[in-house]
Amino acid sequence: MIQTLRRVFLTLLFLSVSTSSTFASDEKAEEPVIDVMGTLADHDYFKFFGKKLYLPRIIYWVDEEGNSRVNTFASTKKATESVLFEERDHALVPTNGGHIVLDLSITSHLVYFWFGMGSAVWLTIAMSNRYKKGVGKDVEPKGALHNTFEVLFLFIRDDVVRENINEHKANKYMPYLFTMFMGITFINLFGLLPWAATATADLTVTATLAVMTFFVTQFSGTKDYWGHIFWYPGVPTWVRVILTPVEILGMFTKPFALAIRLFANMLSGKIMIIVILGLIFIFAEAFGAIAGLGMGAIISVPLTATLYALKVFVALLQAYIFTLLSAVFIGMAVEDHKHDEEHYNAEHVA
Amino acid sequence: MGLLAAGIGAGIVALGAGIGIGMIGKGATESIARQPEASGDIRGVMILTAAFIEGVALLGLVICILLALEIKI
Repeated sequence: MIQTLRRVFLTLLFLSVSTSSTFASDEKAEEPVIDVMGTLADHDYFKFFGKKLYLPRIIYWVDEEGNSRVNTFASTKKATESVLFEERDHALVPTNGGHIVLDLSITSHLVYFWFGMGSAVWLTIAMSNRYKKGVGKDVEPKGALHNTFEVLFLFIRDDVVRENINEHKANKYMPYLFTMFMGITFINLFGLLPWAATATADLTVTATLAVMTFFVTQFSGTKDYWGHIFWYPGVPTWVRVILTPVEILGMFTKPFALAIRLFANMLSGKIMIIVILGLIFIFAEAFGAIAGLGMGAIISVPLTATLYALKVFVALLQAYIFTLLSAVFIGMAVEDHKHDEEHYNAEHVA
Repeated sequence: MGLLAAGIGAGIVALGAGIGIGMIGKGATESIARQPEASGDIRGVMILTAAFIEGVALLGLVICILLALEIKI
């Protein structure tokens, strides 16, 4: 009991100290109390325990004489020191005119994307080596990691992929969908680390993932799938005039919704935590440090702790939903419909 | 003005999504109570439908964020 009290007291003390110090730096810079979008935006550095590791910039640009050039710099600072570029509103601009065509710089979101996908690949290869040795195949799986992996794998295989995709073709799409699931799970969970960035809270990352699903869906489309898009069977011709544009639009809205859903879910979770923690500073500014302290102790910190637990669940749920919907879309594309045979039989019976 | 629009819009988005997901929950619990052996299938369909509604709601929410922060595309 006494230990619990001491712990709470220490937390409060720590909060009050950090509140005042954050304050002092904020007033000097004359910035808003909380910079919500700055925390969410993509950065040119990789933060680790408060230390910043600047990432290389790779820029393909056209200079003032119209020559295409590719320049690589070790960091943004090096780029501005080289006089070719200068920084305006957190963006690099060529000093002597010209414009940037393609900015292939490595950013924090990209690094966390690599981390997530790398972890997924590492885990899957490590586990597959175990299965090749016979652990899990001949004897029971050993260890917490292996057991968790097997539960997740069987869940995705039996309840997601084989449920939604034609059973003859399900195994072909299992690697893709499982990579998506594990990758998105890892990226989402990496975003929960205090110093890390959530790569899935960036529309470019989720759009990339959704575009992959789009291409897999279209390239695995059967004759029936394309027939249903361009020449819907079993309806009058004038209905097809309306249906064909709608179906073509549907091809693109599905992955679009997929991207927006993942992006907005991860973003809203992040904004919610920043805003609730930011209430401390807003109250401290409006009613004094004591009010900020009370706000933090009574509302903000317990609520944030609960939200974090919820975010772990949401991270898994969103990966599951992304995988499930990808499987549903692919399943719709690879299905060999037996509609025509049914119509044929129905007509002949009648 | 943008802030006002974003605030009202976020409220309406939450209202619509809340009604939609509430109706899914109602339907799912009723059908699970009537047919407990089909609860697995019903849960899957429930999550899928909720995800669709959420997608539309979040689309609205993103527009609200764009309005509030005055980001021009």
